[in-house]
Amino acid sequence: MLLDYIKARDMLGRYGISSVKSGYVDSPEQAVKFSEGKPLALKVLSEKALHKSKSGVVKLGLLDPDDIREAFSELSSKASRLRPYKILAQRMAPPGVEAIIGGRKDPQFGQTILLGMGGIYVEAFRDFSLRICPITRYDSVEMIHQLRSAQVITHNGKSEKMLSGLLLGVSRLLGEHPEITELDLNPVIVREDGYEAVDLRIIEE
Amino acid sequence: MLKPRSVAIIGASRNPEKVGHVIFKNYVNAGYPGRLYLVNKSGEEIEGTQTYKSILDIKEGIDLAVIAIPAEYVPAAMEECGRAKVKTVVVVSGGFAEVGRQDLQDKMVGIAEKYHMPTLGPNCLGVMDPRSRVDTLFLPTYKLSRPSIGGVSFVAQSGAVGSTVLDMISSEGFGLSKFISYGNAAHIDEVDVLEYLLDDKETKVIILYIEGAKRGKELVKIARRISLVKPVIVLKGGKTFEGQQAAHSHTAALAGSYEAYLALFRQFGFTIANDLSELLHYAKIFSSEQQPSGPRIAIVTNGGGAGVLTADAISSSSFLKLGKFSTATEKTLRKSMPVLVNIRNPLDLAGDADYLRYKEALGAICGDGNIDMVVAIALFQTPGADSKLAAELIRIKGDSKKPMVVLSTGSDYTRMHKIMMESSGLPVYDSPAAASAALEALYRYSEYKKAKKQGKDPH
Repeated sequence: MLLDYIKARDMLGRYGISSVKSGYVDSPEQAVKFSEGKPLALKVLSEKALHKSKSGVVKLGLLDPDDIREAFSELSSKASRLRPYKILAQRMAPPGVEAIIGGRKDPQFGQTILLGMGGIYVEAFRDFSLRICPITRYDSVEMIHQLRSAQVITHNGKSEKMLSGLLLGVSRLLGEHPEITELDLNPVIVREDGYEAVDLRIIEE
Repeated sequence: MLKPRSVAIIGASRNPEKVGHVIFKNYVNAGYPGRLYLVNKSGEEIEGTQTYKSILDIKEGIDLAVIAIPAEYVPAAMEECGRAKVKTVVVVSGGFAEVGRQDLQDKMVGIAEKYHMPTLGPNCLGVMDPRSRVDTLFLPTYKLSRPSIGGVSFVAQSGAVGSTVLDMISSEGFGLSKFISYGNAAHIDEVDVLEYLLDDKETKVIILYIEGAKRGKELVKIARRISLVKPVIVLKGGKTFEGQQAAHSHTAALAGSYEAYLALFRQFGFTIANDLSELLHYAKIFSSEQQPSGPRIAIVTNGGGAGVLTADAISSSSFLKLGKFSTATEKTLRKSMPVLVNIRNPLDLAGDADYLRYKEALGAICGDGNIDMVVAIALFQTPGADSKLAAELIRIKGDSKKPMVVLSTGSDYTRMHKIMMESSGLPVYDSPAAASAALEALYRYSEYKKAKKQGKDPH
């Protein structure tokens, strides 16, 4: 069962994992207000459309209030067949490197944690690292270094430390929540001075 | 089970083609010093040895019963073992869960538990311990050579992989501590075996061939502890979807997701082999019990090309690198080497190098703080390379704290010297890639242990 987005975000927050500012909006005006003059993304969340981008119910990079209103109306009409649904507004994260952090409950070994860098590397080259939870700091650093695409993120020690801390947080969360069967932070945008999970999904038994 | 004072073979047979006959002969051939009893329902004498119709007829206590009879009769035989207070049982017979007879297997486990009788198998080769001369393998010694006594223990889920590797180990210089083939893992499984080997003083290195684990969480627990104590080299069978299908019908194993297994092994400092020959390459370097101080390699060679290829292999490793000689070493070498020798790493001693030139060169390099490990390439086809060189390399390895491997490629004359060096604990490889992979594994394992032991990373 898919956990509600805001509940999932709050659960991650309790483990120190930050994600982009998000909130449900019920009207075009609420969406405009949420933007506060900063670029916005609008997404339809529904059990019937687990692949949001494939279902065409995502609008990115909305800045102008009229564009926001129009996008809201368009999504609402598209989403009518996906009832019940909610519309999530998110601030756009500043650009950075994309990472994927995931969790999966292995039938043999229990919770496992996965790290991959930059979309294409994971998809095309199957470049990811995997560990059994709980992981230690040593494991988290090894997970980063094991990636062939490690250089795209480890150009400085600071971002490596940040990513390592993020992995430890996810591992702790998975360890304390055995009911989670799958977890996806995809993508996480990583910059030199910070990161945000942009999309997240937690599936429970 | 591995150090029994008395062994009973249930299903011992006169017919040389029967498994029960081969096991009996192997015990005799190995010179097993304990008491050996043969059980056969007809009670016929076998090669002048008395047999018993039932294990219950034997008056003395039995430490190990080896059962080699058709599957359907196994539960009854185990029941008798239980009543005769047999301590441990090995069931070599097949015909259980691997062919859909889970019922027979469950019955067997029920009896083992009722009598608290640790039982290995079914569908396995059983155990071998060259020290106690226990050998339950049903493969004749003229077909499968038995390894000498050593520190490597080998745990194999599959009997066929087990026997193949054993045969290969017998021609290697390092010897065997224990061989345990556990087959269907109905009662004793890989976790029990690893727990035993963790504490076994005779075991210095563990090789593991595994297709699927029965108790994943328990495997994680023992994996966490074991490689802090001794190196474990693992080969995981059942890599692809097709492979997993085969594993199921083969040893009725539940091959889990291959990636999760690799993650587990990597996380807990196991050395992962990709095929049988890699298993042996890694076993060889770990059984030499050498401790590297770092990743910097020196290469000494009597063939320029071989030196270049080895330098390439070292450079393509993400963990090893070529070291740079210290000025003091360079100075010493300049004095002792002929002028035609270029003083750099790899150090090409030239095709006419004899043992004395190796002695001078390696003596200087082994004392160099900029070098952590040494590859000595000895091509025995050259005029200067002979048994004196092999003896010198053995001596240098004995005196030096730096890990050293020899790279020798060639036929009969080379093989003779390889055996000579390996039986003295000096690992010999026949390709630059194998030598480089072995040194990398040794280095990575030592780094893993260091990181864990410094307490930087408490579990």
